[in-house]
Amino acid sequence: MSEGYVVRDLGVRIGDRAIVDDISFSLAPGEIVALAGASGAGKSMSAMTPFGLSAGVASGSAMLDGIELVGMPERDLSRIRAEKVGFVFQQPLTALTPHRTVGQHLQEAAMQAGGVKPDKAAMVAMLESVGLSRPEERLVQYPHRLSGGERQRVLIAAALAHGPRYLVADEPVSALDAALRGEIMALLVRLCRERGMAMLLVSHDLAGIEHHADRLLLLEAGKVAEAGPAQQIATAPATDYGGRLMAATPRLSEPLHQLPDTGETLLEAETIHVHFPKPGWRRGRIDAVVDASLSVAEGETLALVGGSGSGKSTLGRAIAGLGPMAAGSVRWQGTAMPPRNRRSSEHRRLIQPVFQDPLASLDPRWSVADIILEPVKWLVPHEYRAERAADLLEEVGLPRDFAGRKPSSLSGGQAQRVAIARALAANPAMLLLDEATSALDPLVADGVVALFDRLQRARGLSLLFITHDLALARRTAHRIAVMEAGRIVECAPREELFANPQAEATRRLIAASG
Amino acid sequence: MRPALVIVALIVLAALLVPPLLPFDHVAIDWDSVRVGMFTDGHLLGTDDLGRDRLARLLVGTRVTLSVALAAALVALVIGVAWGAIAGWVGGRTDELMMRIVDGLYALPFMFVVILLMVVFGRSILLVFLGIGFVEWLTMARVVRGQVIALKQRPFILAAEAAGSPARATLLRHILPNVAGVAVAYLMLTVPHVVMIESFLSFLGLGVQEPLTSLGILVNEGAEEMDMNPSALLLPGGVLVLVIACLTIAGERFRDRLADAAR
Repeated sequence: MSEGYVVRDLGVRIGDRAIVDDISFSLAPGEIVALAGASGAGKSMSAMTPFGLSAGVASGSAMLDGIELVGMPERDLSRIRAEKVGFVFQQPLTALTPHRTVGQHLQEAAMQAGGVKPDKAAMVAMLESVGLSRPEERLVQYPHRLSGGERQRVLIAAALAHGPRYLVADEPVSALDAALRGEIMALLVRLCRERGMAMLLVSHDLAGIEHHADRLLLLEAGKVAEAGPAQQIATAPATDYGGRLMAATPRLSEPLHQLPDTGETLLEAETIHVHFPKPGWRRGRIDAVVDASLSVAEGETLALVGGSGSGKSTLGRAIAGLGPMAAGSVRWQGTAMPPRNRRSSEHRRLIQPVFQDPLASLDPRWSVADIILEPVKWLVPHEYRAERAADLLEEVGLPRDFAGRKPSSLSGGQAQRVAIARALAANPAMLLLDEATSALDPLVADGVVALFDRLQRARGLSLLFITHDLALARRTAHRIAVMEAGRIVECAPREELFANPQAEATRRLIAASG
Repeated sequence: MRPALVIVALIVLAALLVPPLLPFDHVAIDWDSVRVGMFTDGHLLGTDDLGRDRLARLLVGTRVTLSVALAAALVALVIGVAWGAIAGWVGGRTDELMMRIVDGLYALPFMFVVILLMVVFGRSILLVFLGIGFVEWLTMARVVRGQVIALKQRPFILAAEAAGSPARATLLRHILPNVAGVAVAYLMLTVPHVVMIESFLSFLGLGVQEPLTSLGILVNEGAEEMDMNPSALLLPGGVLVLVIACLTIAGERFRDRLADAAR
């Protein structure tokens, strides 16, 4: 009986659509193999389908310790899963059953292959091994009491509770805050090494996995585009696809590119405070942004970086007049901008937003041309409208005949370009980019980042670039402001920020992105 | 959805077009043939105790019931959409206050209110559908408010603000068109509900006034003679069931289809 997991000519179909086509790889005991690639490349499908955990139907062969999984009835498969394999999924928020405590989850997980009921000490040890603080308390807590990172640690503990030889991790850190991703990934790798477990890792984030995986498979449209030692692919990809994927993934170690020159100071925001009322009649308040000041020059990119809930989006919206602002002032070329409800369309024109979720940014009932021309609806005479819309489409790199389409027929990247075209239609001086690339596929996101660079050079635009990705900020921004708990803790030119980080939060972010 | 709508359409067409073609109207009394059975003297469904043509009465009753239902549902639509959209859009304490008013009205015993209205103002068909519409808008307002709040948080609304669109224009051009589908789906579910309420009121003798008739009145009359002449109960009852079932099925399908399209 041969040890390890060997996949030969695996195909996955859903209905009569082929999702994965003839991929082969092997996973030796104790090895970490990563499946990476653009979304829709079939990464998760190839990892999950042989174990009966997807909607797909597998063909070909997948041998686990000499046992053929393809074509095995579900009853036997579930026994194999319970005995040999642990699973970690992407969504820590939904992968735990809300009405059961952490301890109950661990017990259930430990006993799935009919083992003995673990006692309290064993469960405490499990939680300790995944780095959870105060494990005794955690055992009786319900999932809603835990943060995202803590939930993911519990899920990992549960996946390991029955002592599996193999671990399948499907985007285990993608839903987590940037600062946590490196930590959880390192934990997974450490556990694998300690226990001699093999891990099949699915991720779209190349920068996050290349140092951890032994071998890497790049999938493209259901086929293996490139496979080999992770370090080798990361440093010197052999295929064009691999090269593009690598180039599209920002890293802290990459050389700095020249950014366009900047001009006079355009926007100054001083001592901005934002708080939200707690819901209900008797209102307390939540301080979202505290005493934040920043300035942006003409043609400059300022990145606002921070974890989720750090107030970066709220600050950006307050400045653009798209969200509440309790105190503080915003000045544009030295003159004060009026508060949100008194800004004229001329004020609003200056700063145009692009949001994270491209499809939700477009009214599903409007045509692309109507969406793009919304800011100038009354200014463009009827006979020039089609022309103007087509010009803007061309400027953002879309075909001119997209004007008649509806948002539902656009891909994420195309929809985001339409949203950018709408922002440009207003003839802005500054764009507010609120995580504008983080919902997109790496290759598509890279294209959109390149578009921002081109637009900045062509139109002299200032960019307020809100992101959780420090490496991306380093690639695109002249200066970087780091936010934590509603405050700007540090703001410095990018070279300086990395050479000599001042704030604790900055150092933590750099460490997490490295 | 389609077969259900076809059945409803056939019933509506019959109720609208057939009565003028009949040799008898729903009020006329045929003294020569009082309480005769089916297919007698040109009365396809016979006549009732007073010698009135049952077919004419059935069709007119259907027409009255359906028009009361449609009118009441439209009243509910207009008030409900306006109330819900304003509460959801303005938000904050205005929203709290408006929705507490809705909760308060929900708590009133509806039958009691209608009976009180009838006693004070006398029975009239206008009052019936105003009364029903006045109650039905409550749920519509809740549904619409929820939709508006969900839409309000979508980034395209913020983008419209950035594009310089005034709040009222955003509400009219972005929010209401996107609420319309859900409102129409809910309207389709309101109509059968109102049919039910109207028939119930009429059955109790609180609905439309004789000699005008409605399905509820016909069911009531039919129930009195069901041991001698079961068709007098079964026919109006059958039409009632068919209308309610078909509209409910069509409405639910439409709502599900919208939900799928939103995904």
